[in-house]
Amino acid sequence: MKKQLIYYFPASGNICIARSSFLAFMLMLTTFFVHAQQYDLLIKNGHVIDPKNHINAKKDVAVANGKVANVADNIPASQSKKMIDANGLYVTPGLIDMHTHVFVGTKPDKFADGVNSLSPDDFTFKSGVTTVIDAGTSGWRNFQKFKEQVIDQSKTRVLAFLNIAANGLSGKPEQEDINSMNVDSAVQVKQKYNDIIVGIKIGHYEGSDWTPFDRALDAASKTNTPLFVECHLPQYSLQDQLNKMRPGDIITHSYEQITERMPVVNDTGNLRPFVLDAQKRGVLFDVGHGGAGFWFSQAVPAFKQGLVPNSFGTDLHRFSMNAGMKSMLNVMSKYMAIGMSLEDAITRATWNAAKSIKREDLGNLDVGSVADITVLSMLKGKFGFVDAGGNRLEGDRKLEAELTIRAGKIVWDLNGISAKRWKQEANKE
Amino acid sequence: MDPKNKIDGQMDVAITNGKILQVAKDIPAKNAKKVVDVTGMYVTPGIIDMHVHAFNGTDVDAYIANGLTSLPPDAFTFRSGVTTVVDAGSSGWRNFRLFKKQTIDRSQTRVLALLNIVGNGMVGRFEEQDVNDMNPQQTAYMIKKLYPDIIVGIKAAHFWGDFTQVDRAVEAGNLANVPVMVDFGEHQPPNSIEDLFMKHLRPGDIFTHTFSYGPTTRETVVDEGGQVKPFIFEAQKKGIIFDVGHGGGAFSWRQAVPSMKQGFLPNVISTDLHAESMNSGMKDMSNVMSKFLNMGMSLQDVILRSTWNPANVIKRTDLGNLSVGNDADVTVFNVRKGDFGFLDVRKTKLKGTQKLEAELTLRAGKIVWDLNGISAPSWEEELKNSK
Repeated sequence: MKKQLIYYFPASGNICIARSSFLAFMLMLTTFFVHAQQYDLLIKNGHVIDPKNHINAKKDVAVANGKVANVADNIPASQSKKMIDANGLYVTPGLIDMHTHVFVGTKPDKFADGVNSLSPDDFTFKSGVTTVIDAGTSGWRNFQKFKEQVIDQSKTRVLAFLNIAANGLSGKPEQEDINSMNVDSAVQVKQKYNDIIVGIKIGHYEGSDWTPFDRALDAASKTNTPLFVECHLPQYSLQDQLNKMRPGDIITHSYEQITERMPVVNDTGNLRPFVLDAQKRGVLFDVGHGGAGFWFSQAVPAFKQGLVPNSFGTDLHRFSMNAGMKSMLNVMSKYMAIGMSLEDAITRATWNAAKSIKREDLGNLDVGSVADITVLSMLKGKFGFVDAGGNRLEGDRKLEAELTIRAGKIVWDLNGISAKRWKQEANKE
Repeated sequence: MDPKNKIDGQMDVAITNGKILQVAKDIPAKNAKKVVDVTGMYVTPGIIDMHVHAFNGTDVDAYIANGLTSLPPDAFTFRSGVTTVVDAGSSGWRNFRLFKKQTIDRSQTRVLALLNIVGNGMVGRFEEQDVNDMNPQQTAYMIKKLYPDIIVGIKAAHFWGDFTQVDRAVEAGNLANVPVMVDFGEHQPPNSIEDLFMKHLRPGDIFTHTFSYGPTTRETVVDEGGQVKPFIFEAQKKGIIFDVGHGGGAFSWRQAVPSMKQGFLPNVISTDLHAESMNSGMKDMSNVMSKFLNMGMSLQDVILRSTWNPANVIKRTDLGNLSVGNDADVTVFNVRKGDFGFLDVRKTKLKGTQKLEAELTLRAGKIVWDLNGISAPSWEEELKNSK
């Protein structure tokens, strides 16, 4: 909320007149000063894209006490302690990566508490991301460890889908043990960490028994959260999975072309009608790029035939970071090369993602919301983007994170746009 | 651009079985299974980052050894053209094996190490003061007898006392015949770096955080009047190696810019990569290299100081060059032109017009980074071919 101007006048009466006037003068002076620099940070002249608030125009954004304090056409620089000129740049809500694996630890060949996961801060801010959602790397039994070891240690906001498997992505055979997939325990952990856990995940089960899927769905229903359906469910048909999913549930790796799951686009290049029906019914499709989850041969025809992803999960992990995936902005730029508009890309990376995890406090620049803000530049040139199959698509635009702000604090500044220029003379100060 | 072999011109580079096979003008495309066209780009030896902290682990109470301040190398190296990192003393002889098992053996990046003279490495500031845990003999055994291929030197750092730590490190260096790198901050008042260079270190030993500015705890190379101290040139002439070691707190324009102008160039460009530097002014190796480019250092000099120079300093002359028969660690850079800014640790910026960007990185002949897919076929053609 914008700070109210409140003038304090000392009560008259018994107080000596002279003293009272002096106090009034001092208080007015103080109030004037507070008013003069009521903001901590002002991002001026940027093109704001805030899909929730239908803003797509040149605006100024002011931050105070770690919150968005004002978004308006012309906020005077004199009202802020610090001003950043974002002329020619895009100002958006902090980006949300719907699909990451960040339960990093030291176990070899493991995602849960292992080296296959990555530390979020190593990747997020430089790519404009302020919130990541871990895609079920932990389950009810090891969530606490994940929280202490990573979530509490990270500057990035880390939310999580809780795996229905007790120890999350702990590897075979443990992660497929149906006995450990305890709905009550998952529900309890979700309720205990209500502000972090945003949904339940099913994935990485190679049997044909639907119990794991049904239990995950049950836990999601009982906690009123979305079910996040990952890959590696080779015995479940795609159609059965989609049929079981409720509106608001999320399927990821939407555009994969691997033997263990039917691709959304068939051999003749046509989108399967039941897939589009599922989306129309409200099932959400996340990109979930990863090392093997995104293929142009699927994504391009799907996009042209109407299956546009709801969110851009990167599926960040050890095997995607240096491959075709690279970063959130690379995945978004890839979609722009396929034909998506910038506004649509920002919508999916902010407000759509926030809504799908029922965290409407995120992904927007409402006055009063936490000041997670991203400033992007649009590079023009000849760029190439690579898919999981090692094939290239060319594009002429690419997003780059100029500045990232997390809760009002600058956590990334690519070209020092928030900094003063160094001068030799400054040495002598 | 291969400084060791004095190559600076348009050439083709051929690789087979993970090794450099040939560097020559006009190698016919038909001789290779795969061709990557890098017209307009620079091909260099894989970059060596001689100062990182990569002993990442899960001990939330630890500082750098097995802690969260250290970073997994592969997350940072290839995307900035680096193929070899040297960990600067995160571990000591007591915990090097854990570091090796946990990080070195599992990284695609070549990870070499300087062993901390403190047995427990960088577990915490107080532990780093324990003179009784600075054992030259154990340190030398670890290097010479057990891991001569991985441990390339010794580190002395973060010590609040006199020259004891440096002297023990040099003693270990003599026993193992390896160089010593010194982070010489945190003394109040600062100890003399002239004494350090002239009385304690040997030619070939390394002074890091060269352009740090924190005069209450660390003597600077540039005086308050903006002049490089004369003994700095003498020390460099004597053979002291000056390393950048940018880090989160150790690179100031007020030290670096006058140094460059007065002809004092760092021997080695490095990042001091860790959790507090990765998102600050440092960012990554190609950003630090770009800073020197924009201060007026030639591209040839920048590449020299991040390939062949560090390879020589750590006595690994098999690295940092494109000699035939060596591991094919190769980096392809483009030089972006535009309006760029570069931050120092004091959050002041220097404007620049050039920025290095890693297009393609090869580690032992394998493509481990391809920014724009220059090595990849077009998806539509592939789809047609598959039908």
